[in-house]
Amino acid sequence: MTQNRPKVLVVDDAATVRLYHTKLLGDAGFEVAEAANGLEAVEAAMSTAFDLFVVDVNMPKMNGYTCVETLRSETVGTPAPILMISTEDRAGDADRAYAAGANLYLVKPVDAERLARVARMLTSGVAA
Amino acid sequence: MGLVRRDQQPAEVSETPAVETLLRQLGDPDPDRRREAALGLDGVAEAVPDLLARVGPETASTVRDALLTTLAAHDTDEVAEALAVHLASDEADLRTLVAEALATMPGSVPAIVPRLLQDPDHDVRVMTAMVLADLPHPGALTWLADMIREDPHPNVVTAAIDALLPSLGPEHTELLRDAVGRFPDDPFLRFTVEAAVG
Repeated sequence: MTQNRPKVLVVDDAATVRLYHTKLLGDAGFEVAEAANGLEAVEAAMSTAFDLFVVDVNMPKMNGYTCVETLRSETVGTPAPILMISTEDRAGDADRAYAAGANLYLVKPVDAERLARVARMLTSGVAA
Repeated sequence: MGLVRRDQQPAEVSETPAVETLLRQLGDPDPDRRREAALGLDGVAEAVPDLLARVGPETASTVRDALLTTLAAHDTDEVAEALAVHLASDEADLRTLVAEALATMPGSVPAIVPRLLQDPDHDVRVMTAMVLADLPHPGALTWLADMIREDPHPNVVTAAIDALLPSLGPEHTELLRDAVGRFPDDPFLRFTVEAAVG
């Protein structure tokens, strides 16, 4: 983890969702960067050591599962925890997220208190 | 060195493979060959049923992308109906690519939008908002407004609001505030509306 505030990358194609999660995590004491799709996230991860990724599922160019798989691949190889948040709660989505390499899968909307609590747990190495 | 007589070689001619060849190639084990076939069948109406049949089982994202690009160019009711089924897919890659393809089909998709807006699966309605976000059709904004006004699921309403954002005007303020009133306990919806209209 970084010396100061933990760094989080919020990955979502919806501008309002990025803004919402950025505000909630910023208010909770995190340093937050944003990516609008999976490709941007992978590029960001190759140049910055993030402490947490918050990743949407449905995104253009590279969907969330592929993004997580790429983040966990040898090419990027991030050890940071990954939280996937989706508007959808289909059976199997969570399993797919964990298989890709996510640490936790939540369904939107996630309220401020819960998101902050989960982010703190994940970035302090406590199993969620 | 003496002169060497060479048999005259015919000039190399690049020929487009026959439709039957390309249809067979859609089942090739090599994804590059399948992709090549899918793109090669661009504009071939008789290939549509085969192309549609390949969309679901196809596992390579690049091939799916090629299949959907070729199919979307047809922009027919048959293609729109068949592709829309995949908006309910359990595969994120498939449903996202299909939503992107449907958004490029303004000729045929409008006819199925009313049914999609009534789909009992709210996840399908969320994907429909994604389609409408990019569909170049004069009715798209009206349908998004209808979703915001009437859909019973907050995630569908927030997806519709997000899709409407680039076109948001003062005329939408009351619509958005009413949506907050319908879902007073949804923090994200409230935040989204406040960010949009202040």
